Amino acid sequence: MDDYQTEEEESAFVVEESVEATIGRNTYQHNRVNQWSTSVVEQCLGQLGKLGKPFKYIVNCIIMQKNGAGLQTASACFWDNSTDGSCAVRWENKSMYCIVNVFGLAI
Amino acid sequence: MSDQQLKHKSHRREKRTGKVPSEASHGARGKETTGRTKDSVSTASYMDDLGHHDDNARLVVTIDNTYQLGPYKCFPVPAVTDILKDVLTSYLQEEKYESEWSQKMTKTICEVIRARVKDLMIPRYKIVVLVHIGQLTGQSMQISSRCLWDASNDTFASYSFKNSYLFGVATVFAVYFE
Repeated sequence: MDDYQTEEEESAFVVEESVEATIGRNTYQHNRVNQWSTSVVEQCLGQLGKLGKPFKYIVNCIIMQKNGAGLQTASACFWDNSTDGSCAVRWENKSMYCIVNVFGLAI
Repeated sequence: MSDQQLKHKSHRREKRTGKVPSEASHGARGKETTGRTKDSVSTASYMDDLGHHDDNARLVVTIDNTYQLGPYKCFPVPAVTDILKDVLTSYLQEEKYESEWSQKMTKTICEVIRARVKDLMIPRYKIVVLVHIGQLTGQSMQISSRCLWDASNDTFASYSFKNSYLFGVATVFAVYFE
């Protein structure tokens, strides 16, 4: 039986690394954000795939400029609680927020 | 907030305008890790099963083979898009953005969408519903998703709504359970 807690932690670690590597030291730029979010998500997905676990993954990324605006995000899932799980990673620097949600569904 | 202060707070979730509340049926245990650079900060939270920590909740249920190769009934994307449009419009039409209200509203909308998609009774599909509600203050943002799945069976539906004060985006992912 897999120790699921470590898998969620493992994916959180993978995500944090990907975000840091892609947008770590950048300031928010509207014309580059599309490329950044695509890159963050694809890197995360690539690394998660390399873990070789029998899961289907959904990775969702939000990059938002810091403006004092509020944002709420919620998710509801209809799945098997014993095998499936999710994790959310919130990252910020001086100019932007980045929120990444990863859902892992067992095959 | 300095990095030093963050290291001492092991179980508290940070509160700032970019909050991510989890859905009502699963709580989140916050684990803080400091960013490597001085100006970035990151936190991660995971799903917890309702505070139950008994092993029974985590035992995998073995299901007998049905020898079914694919879904008999496809996931109806247009029908689900209509559901999303209907729910978002009816809940958000004339509303203004308020922090407490939108917290409850995102969770409510999530649960309503999940219930309505379940009512469609599509067998062997697992559903993930994501809802974002944000304030419109001229900021720029980008929301993107990628999935590692079986493209012939799995799909998604999405709808975004906007009024003068706020925007709402709802996405439903449907993943076939083999």
